[in-house]
Amino acid sequence: MSVDPVRKALYLVAVTALFVVFCGYAPAFELGNDPVELSGLLLAQQTQQAADDQSEQDKEDENDDEYDDEDDDEYDDEDDDEYADDDVKLIEDPMIGGNKQLYAFNDNMYFLVLKPVARGWKIFPEELRVGVRNVFYNIRFPVRFINCLLQGKGKKAYAETGRFVINTLWGFLGMGNVAAEFPSLQPSPEDLGQTFAVWGFGFGDYIMLPFLGPSSARDALGRLGDTFLDPIWWIPVDFWTSVGIRAGEAVNETSTRIGEYEALKEAALDPYVMIRNAWAQNRIKLIAE
Amino acid sequence: MNKQITGLILIFIFLLVIPLQGYAATPKETVETGVNKVIATLSDPAFKAKPKDQQIAAISLEIESVFDFQELSRRTLGKQWKKMSAEQQTEFVKLFTELLQGVYADRLLAYSDQKILFDKEIMIKKGRAEVQSYLQTSDGTKIPLFYRLTDKSGSWKVYDVIIEGVSMVKNYRTQFRDILSKDPPEKLLEILREKTKKG
Repeated sequence: MSVDPVRKALYLVAVTALFVVFCGYAPAFELGNDPVELSGLLLAQQTQQAADDQSEQDKEDENDDEYDDEDDDEYDDEDDDEYADDDVKLIEDPMIGGNKQLYAFNDNMYFLVLKPVARGWKIFPEELRVGVRNVFYNIRFPVRFINCLLQGKGKKAYAETGRFVINTLWGFLGMGNVAAEFPSLQPSPEDLGQTFAVWGFGFGDYIMLPFLGPSSARDALGRLGDTFLDPIWWIPVDFWTSVGIRAGEAVNETSTRIGEYEALKEAALDPYVMIRNAWAQNRIKLIAE
Repeated sequence: MNKQITGLILIFIFLLVIPLQGYAATPKETVETGVNKVIATLSDPAFKAKPKDQQIAAISLEIESVFDFQELSRRTLGKQWKKMSAEQQTEFVKLFTELLQGVYADRLLAYSDQKILFDKEIMIKKGRAEVQSYLQTSDGTKIPLFYRLTDKSGSWKVYDVIIEGVSMVKNYRTQFRDILSKDPPEKLLEILREKTKKG
């Protein structure tokens, strides 16, 4: 299988750029001279951060518990306030200026391009569109499977395999989710960002990716790594066809969930902050699973 | 004689207490009843014939009976709650309630053939519980939908909804905090007034 040089070059550029961003914004780098020591330091710091996050989580739970033991005074509760303080900083956002611009760009892209196209796509029946979405999910089995292994989650790797085999054989190449009949064969998806988290890395800084949406230094890097595990990337077609497949996937996916983003945005006082927090909360849940 | 009266009183008390205990709904029952009532309303043909604003009003009323908006508001503001005057607090609860009811009623109207599966009920601590449910879409995907309840008001009421790990209270708290770190509470109320007027 030959992979065309454009794609290779783009990969190199992307990896380098992300690495620079990742290191450049990692606090350890500012101290840095020796790269070897640095990477150790970086890891240590991230681990520390993850541990802090964890202890914050614990503290939060504790506070929560304490709060309930003494609920005679409804409105005067110090513990509950601390609970409030803890979860504010789920993720650091030092690049907020650029992120906000990218969010505005993504928002425009959604309303001006993606949504109108997805609406047109809705001429196809919903069953078919959901089927296409499932096929893409099914094809990406290696991404989830390998990440299960990298995290040492044998049971989940087993469940992923079971789901993949059943849906491929009896679900018409994954169009139908036949495995849904077995609740144990519905594992939450793993990815490289989550693997990094399990290995002890914190979020790093918040990054709004153009076209792709909210992410973090850690998760963006993970996303990039996952593309290598993604069979769709290795289909021997030229670069633009590959991009086309992805765009088609995005349009199809969007067509099955028009209205969701609008409702979220409508409910928010500050959509940017809402999305950042919701994304981080959801990631934390996925990592815990 | 005296004993007889005491006996009668005791029996009377028992009669009063026993059915009351029997009828005190558990957190799970509370959520289940509430959700089923909303689903029944949504599928009622008479309801479907109504104009949208009346539909939203009817749904809002049903949401209100299951939620403790006072508790929800207080938790969402956290420390900032105490910094507000009593009038500001009252207005905040009113506006925030209105905003959430509008949003949820609107979302519920979009609800179609998904199934709601009720799972377990967890006692987090005395006076607080979590009811876990799942929204099952037509292709079998399950979306976790957890409710947090408190019995502060005398019966179990919802004070937070956690969808796919995202707590609504925590999410709004971040937004409110962001606004309140720059502006006084009055500004927050102004934004809420503006927001609810549009919807």
